[in-house]
Amino acid sequence: MLYFSELNRKRVLTNDGIFIGYLDDIIFLLDSKPRVTKIVVDYKGIKTIINADAVHKFNSVVRIAKFYTQTEIEENELFVKRNLLDKQVIDISGNKIVRANDVIIHEQVNLSSHQYECYISGIDIGLLGILRRLHIENVMTKVIHFVGINLISDFLSWADIQPLDLVRGSIRVKKEETKLQNMRPEDLADHLEQTNELNIKKFLRLLDKDFATEVVSNLNINYQRDLFRTWSPEKAAEIINKMDTDIATDILLIVSKRKKDEILKLVEEKKRVAIQTLLSLTRTPISKRLSSEYFVASPTETPRDIIQKIKKLTPEYASLDYIFVINQKKQLIGACSLHELLIQQEDTPIYKFMSQNLIEAHLKTPLEMVVYKLVKYKLHALPIVDLNKELIGIIPFDNISDIIESKFQS
Amino acid sequence: MAVMGPGLVTAFADNDAGGVATYSVAAGKFGYQILITLIPITVVLFITQEIGARIALASGKGLADLIRERHGVRVALLMLLMVFIVNFGVILQDMSGLKSALQLFGFDYRIYLPLLLIFLFFFLIKSSYKKTERLFFVLILFYLSYLFSAILVKPDWGKVFHSIIIPQGKMSFDLIYTSVAVLGTTVTAWGQFVIASSIKDKKLTASDMKVSQFEVVAAAIISNTFTMFMMVAVAATIFAGGLHIGDAAEAAVAIRPLAGDLAGILFGVGLLVAGFLGCAIVPLSTAYIYSELFGYEGSLDQGFQKSKFFYGFFIFQIVLAAFFVMKPSFSLFQITLYADFLNGMILPVIFYFLYRFANNPDIMGKYKNTRVQNIVLISCGVLVSLAVIIGLVGKIFNL
Repeated sequence: MLYFSELNRKRVLTNDGIFIGYLDDIIFLLDSKPRVTKIVVDYKGIKTIINADAVHKFNSVVRIAKFYTQTEIEENELFVKRNLLDKQVIDISGNKIVRANDVIIHEQVNLSSHQYECYISGIDIGLLGILRRLHIENVMTKVIHFVGINLISDFLSWADIQPLDLVRGSIRVKKEETKLQNMRPEDLADHLEQTNELNIKKFLRLLDKDFATEVVSNLNINYQRDLFRTWSPEKAAEIINKMDTDIATDILLIVSKRKKDEILKLVEEKKRVAIQTLLSLTRTPISKRLSSEYFVASPTETPRDIIQKIKKLTPEYASLDYIFVINQKKQLIGACSLHELLIQQEDTPIYKFMSQNLIEAHLKTPLEMVVYKLVKYKLHALPIVDLNKELIGIIPFDNISDIIESKFQS
Repeated sequence: MAVMGPGLVTAFADNDAGGVATYSVAAGKFGYQILITLIPITVVLFITQEIGARIALASGKGLADLIRERHGVRVALLMLLMVFIVNFGVILQDMSGLKSALQLFGFDYRIYLPLLLIFLFFFLIKSSYKKTERLFFVLILFYLSYLFSAILVKPDWGKVFHSIIIPQGKMSFDLIYTSVAVLGTTVTAWGQFVIASSIKDKKLTASDMKVSQFEVVAAAIISNTFTMFMMVAVAATIFAGGLHIGDAAEAAVAIRPLAGDLAGILFGVGLLVAGFLGCAIVPLSTAYIYSELFGYEGSLDQGFQKSKFFYGFFIFQIVLAAFFVMKPSFSLFQITLYADFLNGMILPVIFYFLYRFANNPDIMGKYKNTRVQNIVLISCGVLVSLAVIIGLVGKIFNL
């Protein structure tokens, strides 16, 4: 996670170290998934727009390819500084709420193209945002921390914003149901989890089937169970038909046996067979392979705090690969590898650089699925959470290596 | 009529208790000679208010909105801090004026000042923008007391009009310094914010441009006509009688034996109203800036719940000022100097923002400043800056 205020006026260098100017603005696509498409570089007052494809990484400096292409802003694109930063945030009925104190940028490496990509993921509307803009965030956080108060950032997710209003110069928070379809399913799922089950059902009815399925797949398992419990078997089967087999299996594992059988009867045959195969594997419990040698941190802890704690608390551990981040409700909200932790500035709170897209499993997840996930996502350990998303343990790769070995031998 | 309000209220609020004090002291010192400042301050007031109003009408935004959006959070916070300090000085002036006026009529300020302030809180919170504006209109009517006061002192009207147009007597650094103070109390930093925010709060739009511009001109002329009455009432009595006064309340007392009780009482009533109006509008302007800067809802049309930061900041300033003013030993004199001085200092900064915004086609559209308007605005800026510097140098070296 990056903040625009931290990137603003950063030096832009080419791969071979040639200084070409300072980062002046960022251009993004006005879309439900607002990808950063261009950057504006300012050299002695002359502003050049460069394709974001050339950007290798936003870091202490912005590194771009030696041969970059200059371009122009297009119709469906907006500037971060000019169109987003400092703008008024209003709610659906036009009441002023707050201003955009900072803009949050999410970095990721595209799995298929291996291209470094950035997205606008939301807006910082909290006091921390203002302190960051004034470059006194760290000092003030320390001072406030010293008094015993922990400042927590206040965010507005991109999913909650109506992109069209941005063109008109205001950031409108959407609470209107018909607009929900423009969101990314994962964001919508996050958004829906803030409301109650009744609302979720109401929303899902408004969406088209494919999209609704994707949203349901992204919901917390707790909500998935509640939804499937109240849906008719026909409705449930319809959703299951469109779902990934592994996610469908996860859900069916937690509904009652009677309901499960009713639903399965109505599922298409090919899908049913696949699900049943996975379900039959569930007799192998994973609880035996669960390890309690994992390390958790709270979102505002810094690498300095964490490293100290690791030294103190984990000398007996067989291995330690990840730091898991949990919120006050003990729910798992992020993770970061040891390597990522070590390369960070000592004072950066972990929530800023942790990964939020987590691969996780449940106690009832079939062991084969756990192995599959560990191998597929090249993980050293997989966190296991309960229905409330509370972390209950991890399955380290070491604990399943025998399965792979036996498969290999056979 | 529906468009009238923001310009008139702002212009009259420039004649707040601090204003009345400065005018009284100036007229007490220089007599009719000070009347020569009237036309220049009217012109500067009109020009700056017109641009402020035009920006608000064209953009639908307040001045602080635009500063935050166009110049970022750092500049905006600095601006808020500066205006807060200046305004706080002005609020102290106004509240002290109110306190003196209450004492003048034999009311115990320890009881009546808090009562008046509490009334002000509840009135602003409970009533809509429209009703609040009506209250201000009623208060403005009381300024007529200066007219009657000026008639009662029987001045030489021929000499009055002569002095307005043709400079009289000798030039001196002290006269320049006093003229700057008069200008500084008429053309205020907060006035620029309040006109834009109240236009926005009144939900006026670009279609109201013509009427609004007319109102601003009329308001500048009318309010400065009342300034003239204040100055005349003091000049014809206190200056003519060779007396010295330190503030407006002393003027009201000094007028009595020279021109009769009624003239003195009317002058006192004017001060009471001016203090009350100032106590309402000046903290309101800082509250507008505060909520615009942070993007909170800030409108007189809304209840406390919805605009709690806006009203909260208003109340904070009043309570803080009351804390100082309620002390019996509190001296207004120091505050007057410091507030006028700081106000003069930030005016050029405000002019800079007005210039930038008024010339930005993104904000102004077809209402962008013309070349003539720019020349006039820059001249005003240079004139004000020069006057501030000359006056300051004169004061420092005691010339």
